Amino acid sequence: MIEFRDVHKHFGQLHVLRGIDLSLSEREVVVVIGPSGSGKSTMIRTINRLEPIDSGSLVVDGLRVHEKNVDVNRLRRDVGMVFQSFNLFPHLTAAENIMLAPMRARGLSRRESRERAERLLAKVGIPEKADVHPARLSGGQQQRVAIARALAMEPKIMLFDEPTSALDAEMIREVLDVMRQLASEGMTMVVITHEVGFAREASNRVVFMDEGRIIEDSPTATFFERPREERARQFLSKVIKH
Amino acid sequence: MIPGAIVFEFPKDFFGGLWVTVQISALGLAGALIIGTGIALLRVSPLRPLRWIGAAYVEFFRNTPLVVQLFFLFLGLPLIGFRFASDTFDNIFRAACVGMALYHGAYVAEIVRGGLLGVDKGQIEAARSLGLSYVQMLRFVQLPQTFRSIVPPLGNIAIALVKNTSLASTIGVADLLFGAEVVESRTFRAEEGFGAATVLYLFLTGPLGFAVNALERRMLIAR
Ligand SMILES: Nc1ncnc2c1ncn2[C@@H]1O[C@H](COP(=O)(O)OP(=O)(O)OP(=O)(O)O)[C@@H](O)[C@H]1O
Ligand SMILES: [Mg+2]
Repeated sequence: MIEFRDVHKHFGQLHVLRGIDLSLSEREVVVVIGPSGSGKSTMIRTINRLEPIDSGSLVVDGLRVHEKNVDVNRLRRDVGMVFQSFNLFPHLTAAENIMLAPMRARGLSRRESRERAERLLAKVGIPEKADVHPARLSGGQQQRVAIARALAMEPKIMLFDEPTSALDAEMIREVLDVMRQLASEGMTMVVITHEVGFAREASNRVVFMDEGRIIEDSPTATFFERPREERARQFLSKVIKH
Repeated sequence: MIPGAIVFEFPKDFFGGLWVTVQISALGLAGALIIGTGIALLRVSPLRPLRWIGAAYVEFFRNTPLVVQLFFLFLGLPLIGFRFASDTFDNIFRAACVGMALYHGAYVAEIVRGGLLGVDKGQIEAARSLGLSYVQMLRFVQLPQTFRSIVPPLGNIAIALVKNTSLASTIGVADLLFGAEVVESRTFRAEEGFGAATVLYLFLTGPLGFAVNALERRMLIAR
């Protein structure tokens, strides 16, 4: 479903991705962890080409993302993304946020999109918020609308970049519950998170990044019980403590 | 003598002129918004040549006097064989509208550009990550948010434009100022005539300022 081969990426002089090799099969849930600045966001953003790569190959759902002439809009229609800062469109209501892409990028009618929006809002637990603007929603509610907005395109892959790190404790749970359900339904997911509980329960694999490289890629249970790498071990003990 | 009575003694000059001023203002403003938005989009375009064209437009129209531009449109263009209309009155009226749109379009462009750049990058990424094209992203996400944030400065441009339409009288457009001048030359009642014109201008700009404030409040709620 996703296949990185020796992927490199620079920001000017800064060598941010230094030879990423990673492959994900359908229905797999992979959690990415690692210290700040290690390149986690950059890596996940290459998957839908928000960041183009410099060298190597990256194939996502059969599309060759590293090629210049890849149809990015087609790629992105099938890859949903959820951001740390929600990024809901403030001038649109919750339902309109969800309806926009299905109507404009998939050609659904207003009625079909509205029905889809209502169904997804119910799925994420806030059916009563359809006609409310984002400014009137809590952080947890906003993030759930953002997830519903991504799901409305019926993506094959969902990317999450620290979806709960801007949230308070109670709201974190609301959002993680939705993500857990999504994982159990068989969605292919790449999740950057430091929520160990979520990683343990919902993920198949954990990828640990440091300084632009993947230094450990293990099944979830193995990773948490006996991480192979010393750096991963140290990082884990820090994350789990607080 | 009742102050302002002069308006009713010469209704054709004052109210007819006021109507012409309203028309030039409305058409000029609509044109300025369209041109300004287009130029602003060029200025933030990913393609460098387009950005240059946008910048050149703004510099040219901002750095030359409006009166000179009006004279060029009204006297210069016919010399190279272009007229907005064969009828002379239509020609100067249209030249005035176009002149207002071109000149104020440069100012609108700068404001819209600022607004476009002020939209959070995360908004653009979210829109693009959903599979919306660049143009769809502009249309449904970036531009709507831009216009919500620039209502007050656009309001200032609109008010300036209404006042600047008075320069059209210099190329012979029978607007409100032109009407007041005609009455003055006929009656020599300068204070009365220009006083009345001032009040009529205020009738246009006052409510406009009020409308802008109301619109701004509404936009803040929806943001
Ligand atoms: N657009 C950019 N331009 C220049 N440098 C960037 C850009 N985006 C990221 N970087 C740099 O690249 C490096 C990796 O950033 P990245 O955001 O991928 O790290 P991260 O692992 O997600 O970190 P965090 O946990 O803090 O989110 C950092 O040093 C960052 O400063
Ligand atoms: Mg990051």
